[in-house]
Amino acid sequence: MNTVEEILDFAIEREQQAADFYTDLAQKVNKPWLKEMLEGFSREEMRHKGKLKSVKKGEKLLSAEQKIQNLKVSDYLVAVEPTENLDFQDALIVAMQREKAAYRLYTDLANNIDDPEMKELFLGLAQEEAKHKLYFEVQYDDQILKHN
Amino acid sequence: MSLKDLISPFYVWQRAFQKPYTQKRPIEERPGAPRYRGFHINLTEECVGCGSCEAICQNHAIDMVKVEGLEPRNGDSGLRPKFDYGRCCWCALCVDICTARSLRLSNHYAWVTEDPDAFHFIAGTDAMPWNQNSLGYRRDDDYHLLTHDRIEMDALSPEESLKGFDEVMKGYTEEQALLEADRCVECGICVATCPAHMSVPDYIKAVRNKDWEGGLKLLYETNPFSTTCGRICTHRCETDCVLGLQGTPIAIRWLKRAIADRVPAERYAEILNDTFTENGKKVAIVGAGPGGMSAAYYLRKQGYGVTVFEAQAHGGGMLRYGVPSYRLPENQLDKDIDYIRSLGVDVRFNTRVGQDVPFSELMDNHDAIFIATGLSSPMKLRIDGEEHPRVVSGLKILDDVAKGQDPGVGKRVAVIGGGNVAMDAARVSRRVGADVTVLYRRRIEDMPADPEEIHESKAEGCHLVPQAIPVKIKDADDPNQVVIVWGEAEMVSDAKGGRPRPVLQEDRMHEETYDTIVSAIGQGGDYDFMGECLGSIEQKWGKFIPGAYQQTGVSKIFVGGDIANSTADAISAVEDGHHAARGIHRFLSEEGLQ
Amino acid sequence: MFEPAAPVDLSSGKYLKLWQGPQHPGITGNMSLELTTCGDEVVACKTHVGYLHRGFEKLMERRTFIQNFTIVCRIAVPEPTFNEYLYAAVVEELSGIKAPERAEWIRTFNLELMRLGSYLMWLGGVGAAFGQSTIYQWTVTHRDYILDLFEEMTGARVYHMYIVPGGVRGRLPEGFEDRARKVLDGVERLLMDVEKILFNNVVFKTRTKGLGVITKDMVDPYGITGPNQRAAGFARDVRRDSPYLMYDEVEWDVITGTASDTYERAWVRLQEMHQGIRIMRQVLDRMPTGGPFQTPLPNVLHWEVPKGETYIKAECTRGEYGYYLVTDGSQYVRRVHVRGPSYTHAIALMEKMAVGTNIADIAGLMVSLHTYPPEIER
Repeated sequence: MNTVEEILDFAIEREQQAADFYTDLAQKVNKPWLKEMLEGFSREEMRHKGKLKSVKKGEKLLSAEQKIQNLKVSDYLVAVEPTENLDFQDALIVAMQREKAAYRLYTDLANNIDDPEMKELFLGLAQEEAKHKLYFEVQYDDQILKHN
Repeated sequence: MSLKDLISPFYVWQRAFQKPYTQKRPIEERPGAPRYRGFHINLTEECVGCGSCEAICQNHAIDMVKVEGLEPRNGDSGLRPKFDYGRCCWCALCVDICTARSLRLSNHYAWVTEDPDAFHFIAGTDAMPWNQNSLGYRRDDDYHLLTHDRIEMDALSPEESLKGFDEVMKGYTEEQALLEADRCVECGICVATCPAHMSVPDYIKAVRNKDWEGGLKLLYETNPFSTTCGRICTHRCETDCVLGLQGTPIAIRWLKRAIADRVPAERYAEILNDTFTENGKKVAIVGAGPGGMSAAYYLRKQGYGVTVFEAQAHGGGMLRYGVPSYRLPENQLDKDIDYIRSLGVDVRFNTRVGQDVPFSELMDNHDAIFIATGLSSPMKLRIDGEEHPRVVSGLKILDDVAKGQDPGVGKRVAVIGGGNVAMDAARVSRRVGADVTVLYRRRIEDMPADPEEIHESKAEGCHLVPQAIPVKIKDADDPNQVVIVWGEAEMVSDAKGGRPRPVLQEDRMHEETYDTIVSAIGQGGDYDFMGECLGSIEQKWGKFIPGAYQQTGVSKIFVGGDIANSTADAISAVEDGHHAARGIHRFLSEEGLQ
Repeated sequence: MFEPAAPVDLSSGKYLKLWQGPQHPGITGNMSLELTTCGDEVVACKTHVGYLHRGFEKLMERRTFIQNFTIVCRIAVPEPTFNEYLYAAVVEELSGIKAPERAEWIRTFNLELMRLGSYLMWLGGVGAAFGQSTIYQWTVTHRDYILDLFEEMTGARVYHMYIVPGGVRGRLPEGFEDRARKVLDGVERLLMDVEKILFNNVVFKTRTKGLGVITKDMVDPYGITGPNQRAAGFARDVRRDSPYLMYDEVEWDVITGTASDTYERAWVRLQEMHQGIRIMRQVLDRMPTGGPFQTPLPNVLHWEVPKGETYIKAECTRGEYGYYLVTDGSQYVRRVHVRGPSYTHAIALMEKMAVGTNIADIAGLMVSLHTYPPEIER
């Protein structure tokens, strides 16, 4: 990955994979409403993909300075295996942890690169993922931890 | 006639040289006194449209009217007073009675306009020349036409209450009930807020008239769990009660209890006089909690044959197994349930649908089904070590106690959570002799538990630790103990204006050892028994999303209670049951509902 | 109606019917006297009332107990507070409420200030009725200063609606006592001047001495109370005979006269104004400045006063003023009766006293009785 194009293509591909992951999982689970929820997640990932595509066409990414809130909701939760017996709490944990992993990936990539333009790009992508993670964390805080 | 009598009248000249008394209006304006009763001003933002001004006005000069751009919401009727200056006598009783203290008079003396319609205006909303006047008549701080303080209810002292499971709140005496009922202004804003839309002002009036029988009839129009709700209702009505704007809201819940407690169970049948003829149709209800039993009551009154399937040995659901008897004694819950059963509702206890009887049998043998199974599966923390044997759920403890078993929590207990189950688990643990710490991730004011529960837990010696987020559970040195790791949290404001969210501060972690950790962070539902029907029923976040009249995608299945509403309290379940009963009746009768 | 000694034969051309009122430029209000005159001598008088009938007593039966307090003030326009106080007193008695002491002091002050204001207006009326309008200009001005005090204290100049069952509606404003003292000083100086130019005036003296004598034997049969009675030598005053509010706490004298004519009645009232100022100064000195001024009422929106009946009287400017209240335990008054002194003074007494007087004296005679038509008609 040496050019901005390539990096963006990689990121777009990752979003597509994530969307596919949720679609596949939705096929497997036995609860119809969970299926719907996972399909919703998948649509969310497709939206992210669309966002990156427009970045490729020249739209600005989030600036690295902009601080994305980290609620740290997912940090101490146990890892959850995506199986067909998922419930909605698990599904959200899976989603949060996937976004967190993506955020770490881009942050690591940014740390290991010297080209300032590339660095900026990776950090911007990391910011995007942090935003996605926040989206799911807020869902978790609002729904799962509603009475807590 | 003396000379003096002739001369002294000429003394009048002395005053001829004094400055004249008269003022040259309008060149010299004389402002009204600071307390002058001039023209009306209403602080529209503070006004909640209770209409007490309209009620007290002896000239009928005030009409409560809809205001453009102001929508009714809970706690605000959306109406504002419109004044007719062809009738007003500026007595300012409207100002004195104003529950929000939003109404006042300016010290404006005169108002001249050529448009006669202008004298009929909505104060505060219509632009009036005196709207910015800062002076004028206000109610004096020490003068009241309303009693702003609630009549306190006698309660067991914390020392007494800790000794056992006796009911803590003793109930109003007749005198107390009458005094408390007298405070009501009958605005009815509570009726809109109450999930069951109980006729609150009417039954409070029945209390004032000591008409306990009439009161009971009113209660049963919308709520067959009045004895119960009179004790443990979440009383949203009181949050919106206009008396709370300047003092404490009316104790609506306690007044409901005052009525129900004064009518002995033996007289219910005679007073309520629920007569009906069998209509031959059959309805199955799953769950004998407040939702299921309310539906059973209202369906039975329409003549339906009702069978309730209950997995437990007694009715009441979460009211029995989730609410300890110091808040709701079992015999009081039984009073409500037994009356419903006495109408011929067949309750099959110890019968779990999907296990003891297949769901398909319900589907095949009944014209409609109402499902109100409640949320009985404790939610998981999903942190490391949660499977430790010394970690138990709050519901388990309450269930043990309800069944007369020792919950075995030991001497040091940590409760995680801030809802009523958490508070009750804590208070029950106190009663069996434990030191209790409650860890809650947000602030005390964010706790979903009733304020009374929080207050009483504190009084009984539970140690509440807010902004504490558990992150890990570990083995302790002693195998009968357990270690919890938790971190302090800072609250950050929500970008969209929701409640603030806690963020863990990793530099401020704590480790404590306990005999038991009670996890009480909420419950989920278990719907597997419904089998493939589930596919046609809309759900979100683990709850059903019913359509009109609680009906689901499977047209003969209706759902309600905790599994189908966001508030998950008894009164909402009662309303769901009542609503579903109406829906089922429409569905099964000519009135239609597909 | 008192028949003249000889029967009146209108067709003889000897007599003339003359109507005085109901439109009346003085302060006697909307009532009319149908005079039969022979020359300028009045030989018969018949009173006609009803021009102001507003049916207060009936209106009150359709209003709640709190609402009524806003309409009673209209029963006697120039002195509404006596109605406010008496209405509050009857309701308090039947509902077992006692106003706090501070409220009693404020009420006492309020009532005396009203008495002074009402007397000032009356004094002007006396002057005007005998052709001395300057007096009217002076006294009404000072009455206006009193109305200014009322405006500060109660929020209104005329219909104060300040004395509410249970107490009063607000504390006295900041610095009110000093301003009140200043007004009282001004009135006191005015009264000295009025004494010089009216009571020492040969014209006034000549016209009023011997006019409209109420003999002692008329007082009780005609139900004459207040200054009219005291001018006849009876030292009767409700404030002294059955004290209410703070009247037994302050020092004052019951003023009596002997001659019982128009002049004497005016003189008694003049002295009573001085007594009123004396009372008010004591009240201002002794009134508590802290503490409650209202006893909490039951919720006024559905206030039910227990079944009962009572009569409470007070000494108003013109005599005994009383409220008779019957309640039936509901939220409404069953029956209320307002006993004002004007009824007895302005009808039977006036009809008797007019006979034998001069047309020019009729206005002065009426004023000297100090009556208010709205109170006759309630």
